[in-house]
Parts: sequence; C-alpha cells; structure tokens
Amino acid sequence: MNPSFRRRFRNHKGLVVVALPSEESKALGEFMGQLRDMLVDGTDPGLRRLKPPARPDDPESEDDYRRMIDDDLQQARLDAIDTVESGLGGAALDGEGVAAWMQSLNCLRLVLGERFEVEGINPDDGSSDSPMIDLYHWLAWLLEQLVDAAMPSLDD
Amino acid sequence: MTAPVIAPTEVTEEDQAVDLDRPWKVIVWDDPVNLMSYVTFVFRRLFGYSREKATRLMMEVHTTGKAVVATGTREKSELDVFRLHEHGLWATMEHDS
Repeated sequence: MNPSFRRRFRNHKGLVVVALPSEESKALGEFMGQLRDMLVDGTDPGLRRLKPPARPDDPESEDDYRRMIDDDLQQARLDAIDTVESGLGGAALDGEGVAAWMQSLNCLRLVLGERFEVEGINPDDGSSDSPMIDLYHWLAWLLEQLVDAAMPSLDD
Repeated sequence: MTAPVIAPTEVTEEDQAVDLDRPWKVIVWDDPVNLMSYVTFVFRRLFGYSREKATRLMMEVHTTGKAVVATGTREKSELDVFRLHEHGLWATMEHDS
C-alpha cells in the first residue's frame, strides 16, 4: 500500500474526523470483518495475545478473573468493530469512538504480531517482506495518526 | 514497544511511591507490538495522567520491561486491568504484600 501524506484523522473542535480514501476504507472494512470472524470463531492462535493473564501468580484467581471478564472483553471488542465499520465512510469521533477505533486497529496489529512471533519473523527489522507485514505497518501508521489527532482532546 | 526514540524524562520519587494502604498493584509489561505513542495515550486516557507522567511510565515499561501504573483496591485494580486489556496492553495485577 502507498498511503499519501493526506491525514486520515484530524482534530476538529475536540472531535476526531475520519477521512479515509475509499480504497483504504474498503480494505479496512474487509480486515474488520475478518477480525470479527476470528473473534467469534475463537480458535486462531493469534487471539492468545488478546487475553493476557491478569493473575499469572495465582491460577485460581486467574480462572475467576477470566470467568468474570472474558465475555465482556469479547463484547467490547465486537462493539468496537461495529463502531469502526459504521465510520469507515467518514465520521466525527468522540472519546468513546476514538477508543473503539484505536482498540480495533491495535487488536488487528496484536493478532498479526502474535503470528509473526510464532513464525519467528521480526516485522521491524526489514528482513522480511509480505502483505501481512505491510498491513502491520499500515495499521501502525494509521494508529500513530489517530493518537496524534486525539491527543489534544486529552489536554482540555 | 516499537516507535521513534523519545528522550526519557526525569523520574521523581514522588511518582513512584506506592500507597501501602491500598495494597493492589497494576503492572504493565513491555511487548514488541504496542506503539509507544499509543501506550502513552492509553495511560493518559484511563488514568488521567499528565503527558509527562504518562510518558515517564511508558518509558519505564519500555526500558525496564514493566511499570506499576496504578494502585488501589482489588475491585479497582480488576477494572484497571480489564480496561488495559481492552486496549490491548499486557497488564497484570498483584497483591502488594
């Protein structure tokens, strides 16, 4: 992908305006659909990274914690994907909307990152080249822009 | 974490002190995926930290491998961990015995 330098996210009066070129909007929509399918299916090894242990020191408490929050975590992720999908054509995001976009972009990155780790690939050393690595870096590029656009709203 | 290199800011003792009356610690661990700018943003958004404090904690995670980002009751810490996990950060909690 060859993103131009036009900003995909910018701050306007405290809201973050989403303006993705149509080809990027379409691609992101497809990836969000795949992420949802993956979350619902629940078997992809990359998902492991999305549920890190909260209590590694105490297996019993860890089991309790997982029982308590796993459903909520899953629902929050699915809701966040819905928010992204509904804003692909353009949106003005408040704090919650920003969080949903950040979480979803990052979620996809984490799944890819986990796969790279399993396969022994370092996506940051420039030695490997694949569409998945391009996607990983594109998501980082989007996420950096979103953070830049949203950060001023935290200073208010 | 991956990102452009940012100069570490000075760490003060005051910010590192853990309140002994509130015995649970929430810890964020370094990982190779999360972006430094994003981690800083999440600390600010979830905990209301200043840009300086959030950046300092992010750098502590990045350079030492982990940082205590919040302390409090068990219930508060569970919620903090949940929200950090929701944002994709690698967080744990432990009893500060």
